[in-house]
Amino acid sequence: MNFLQLGSYTFSSRLILGTGKFSSATVMLEAIRASGAQLVTVALRRFNRDQPADDLFSPLRAVPGITLMPNTSGASTAAEAVRAANIARELSGSPFIKVEIHPNPQHLMPDPIETFEACRILAKEGFLVMPYIAADPVLAKRLEEVGCASVMPLGSAIGSGQGLATVEMLNIIIRESNIPVIVDAGLRSPSEAALAMEMGCGAVLVNSAVAVSDNPPAMAEAFAEAVSAGRKAFKAGLMSKSSLAIATSPLSAFLGAKV
Amino acid sequence: MITIELNGKQQTVPPGSAVTDLLSIIGSDGKSVAIVVNDEIIRPDKRSAHRLLEGDRVEILIFAGGG
Repeated sequence: MNFLQLGSYTFSSRLILGTGKFSSATVMLEAIRASGAQLVTVALRRFNRDQPADDLFSPLRAVPGITLMPNTSGASTAAEAVRAANIARELSGSPFIKVEIHPNPQHLMPDPIETFEACRILAKEGFLVMPYIAADPVLAKRLEEVGCASVMPLGSAIGSGQGLATVEMLNIIIRESNIPVIVDAGLRSPSEAALAMEMGCGAVLVNSAVAVSDNPPAMAEAFAEAVSAGRKAFKAGLMSKSSLAIATSPLSAFLGAKV
Repeated sequence: MITIELNGKQQTVPPGSAVTDLLSIIGSDGKSVAIVVNDEIIRPDKRSAHRLLEGDRVEILIFAGGG
C-alpha cells in the first residue's frame, strides 16, 4: 500500500479537506465521508453562545478515523501562531498544526518570515508542523531543515479558484524536497488536483472547491478520485513528452501498398 | 460581583467563581472549548479549582470551520 507519511502518522488518503465555508455541519460531514479524507483542518475561534453551530469539534469527533489539523489563521505574528498552536493542541490532542500567517486580507499571502520563525519554535516543541507558504523553493527547503513534517505551497490565492498558477515553482520544490509537498489553496477542479499528484505532490488540501461547489459531497468524491488517479499515474511513470510524433501503429505493410 | 474580561468583553461573575462556574454562566458544557486565563491554558481537570479574580483576561475558544 502507498501511504502518506507525516511524522509517525500514516494515511491512506492523500486528500486533506478544509472545513470552512460549508453551508452546514451536516453537509461538511457528508463531504468528509464522501471524500475518504482522514486529515481535516479547523480554525481556532472565540466561543459565541449565540452561534453554537460554529463549533465543529463535537460533530467532527463523531466521525471515525479523522485526525484534526488546526490552523493558526488569525495570527499575524510568529508569537500569535505559537500561542494558537499550543491552545489548539491542548484542545484537540492532535500534534498537527498548519502554520497559517497571512496579515493582509486582500490577498491572504503567507508571511514567510513570521511563518519560518513560528515553525522553528513549534518543531522544537514537538508539533507536526505543516507550513502554508508561497511556492518558494528556498523557503521550502529551510522549513524542511528546521524540522517541518511537510511543506504546503499554495497553488494560487486562497478561495480564488485560480488553480495551479505556481506549477513551475512546485516542480522545483518537489524535486528538491525530502518531505511531502502538499499543494494547498486555490485549487478549483479535480483535474488540477490530479495534475498536482502526477507531478509528485504527496497530497493536496482543498476547501473552497468542495465547500462552495453546487454539490459538496459529490465534489469531494470527485476530488478523492482525482487524487487517487494522479498518484497512481505518478507511481506508474508517465511517458516523456516529445516535440515530434512517434507512431503507435506500424508505418509499413499497409493494405494495397506498392512493394 | 467581580468583573473579568471574557473574549474581549466585560463580564461580571460572583466573587470566588471557578472557571466551571463561568462555563455555566455562558451556557457552555466545557467539552469542546479551550480556556485560557491570563495566557495560561486551564485544562479540564483544573477548571473547577481555578478561581477567577478581578481583571482576569479569559479566552474561551472553539474549533470553527477553516481551511
